[in-house]
Amino acid sequence: MEASTLTTPYRRAQEPEASPGTLERIANGFVDPVRNLLVEAGEMGAFSFRCFLEIRGVWRYTAELLRQVGILIIGSALVLLSMQFTFGLTCGNEATYVMRGYGASSYEGVFTAICPIREATPFMFAYMVGAKIGCGYVAEIGSMRINEEIDAMESLGINPMRYICSTRLIANLLISFPIFFLGMLVFFCGEMFVILVQIKEVSFATWSSVHWNFLDLPSFFYSYTKTVIMWLAIVMCAMYYGYRARGGPVGVGAATARSMVAALCLTMVVNEGFTYFFWGVNPHLPVGG
Amino acid sequence: MSARVGTQVGSRTARRPRATAESSSAGGGAFGWLDEFAGMMILTGQTFVMTFKPPYSWFPEFLEQSWLVTKRAFLPCMFCTLVFSWGAPGISGGSIVATLGTPDRLGSFSIMASVRELSTWINGMCVAGIAGTAICADLGARKIREELDALAVLGTDLVKTLIVPRFLALGLMTVIFNYWNTAISIIGQMFADMMVWHQTAAGFIMTFASNFSIAEIAFNFLKVLSFGFIVAIVCCYKGMNARGGAAGVGRAVNQAVVIAFCLIYVYNYLINAILLAAFPETAQLH
Repeated sequence: MEASTLTTPYRRAQEPEASPGTLERIANGFVDPVRNLLVEAGEMGAFSFRCFLEIRGVWRYTAELLRQVGILIIGSALVLLSMQFTFGLTCGNEATYVMRGYGASSYEGVFTAICPIREATPFMFAYMVGAKIGCGYVAEIGSMRINEEIDAMESLGINPMRYICSTRLIANLLISFPIFFLGMLVFFCGEMFVILVQIKEVSFATWSSVHWNFLDLPSFFYSYTKTVIMWLAIVMCAMYYGYRARGGPVGVGAATARSMVAALCLTMVVNEGFTYFFWGVNPHLPVGG
Repeated sequence: MSARVGTQVGSRTARRPRATAESSSAGGGAFGWLDEFAGMMILTGQTFVMTFKPPYSWFPEFLEQSWLVTKRAFLPCMFCTLVFSWGAPGISGGSIVATLGTPDRLGSFSIMASVRELSTWINGMCVAGIAGTAICADLGARKIREELDALAVLGTDLVKTLIVPRFLALGLMTVIFNYWNTAISIIGQMFADMMVWHQTAAGFIMTFASNFSIAEIAFNFLKVLSFGFIVAIVCCYKGMNARGGAAGVGRAVNQAVVIAFCLIYVYNYLINAILLAAFPETAQLH
């Protein structure tokens, strides 16, 4: 059934197998998890590379591509935006109280400008994309695999990598910028709600002059770069787990759970790596000259 | 419909044959979410009642589930916390504090960043995303294979044997994770403070310790306990109401994660707003 995706492992000629000694078993206990992790990462990399290679033929399936875009807009955009708003509320709340503690309430804009651009928006997008879009893809593609729809496609001469994976990848790429932009606006709305409507410690002019002064265009694009790289990595990882699902309903559920682990850990590393890479220790903040 | 399926999980109605569950519509119309919310509330009530009802037969399963949650979620959770606290409050938060001219007081910033916000929701999300999905997938697969129906026919109380142990295990483990989590996030920020901003560890620890108050600890505890319970109820409810084959299990897990994440964030905002408004001294710098 999965002959096209799996190769037969190479086996050496039969040797009389001695049962491993205690030392060897202990060593295996340390080595095996690392080896499994590396094998999985390698397979994931190969899958991603193949998925990228298939993009060149994806325009044949533009209808499917647009359908995926539509599904994302209808199904996922609202959740992403509402979570952005909630995170904006949290961020505004902390900005107020932290800056009051430092005695610099009029500089709340510093916090509210840095928080979404550098950390919160990429982080929130990555997690919610992992939960909403990624898990959804695992479930969808995994059940396709279980129901042998992917094999049926292959036997009909449709390239499933191209039809299933590459279209979804491009759909996510297309949708990421509008949703990111809207999400940023909604985030600022959340912060404005807390700072200017709920707590009302500083005036609109004070807040907005600091806030908008501290947002620069390069940071915005760095932030988008961070977000879109994490987004695509998570979607790719989810499609990998869905594509490789086996073992009935249990297998699909387990694959969904496993994709979340990968998404969570991947997000963190990529997010913080890019924070250091893009901004580092140079705050780029024009306070006090 | 979903609400009725939810109540069927309980002891009184569990033995009724459930032929109608398959034929109902999947979404439940525009008010499907209300149905689900009611079902989750009912399930919470039943779980509380069953926890305190005498034959405490859930205890062995509770230990097993606690170990499973720890085995699955502990290391990813700590890893995520370490990396995120090094980056977000350490580097970006350090930028804000350095702008104000006091990078030596990153310790007091980290009260806000790690104790109040970051370690709690990373904890909640890791437990939801790793342990919660696994629990949901497990229960959903059992539901699809009609094992749960078979158990109910045999007279087993599903809430007591399946839900209560998971509920308590997630609650307990989220709280235990939280202390590790907080400690590790503080270590991550201290590394950032020392290595990136070139400040002293003593300054960090001093400012941290002088700002750490009992109200923070109490609310921190309350918050993560509720996170664990929220995750448990959402994932168990979604898993036990899965329908429609392999795709159904996947969909149930997906919805469970999304609902759990959303509830965690909304709850986090609400409880932090309450904490900061009720104890204004938590926002003062010492």
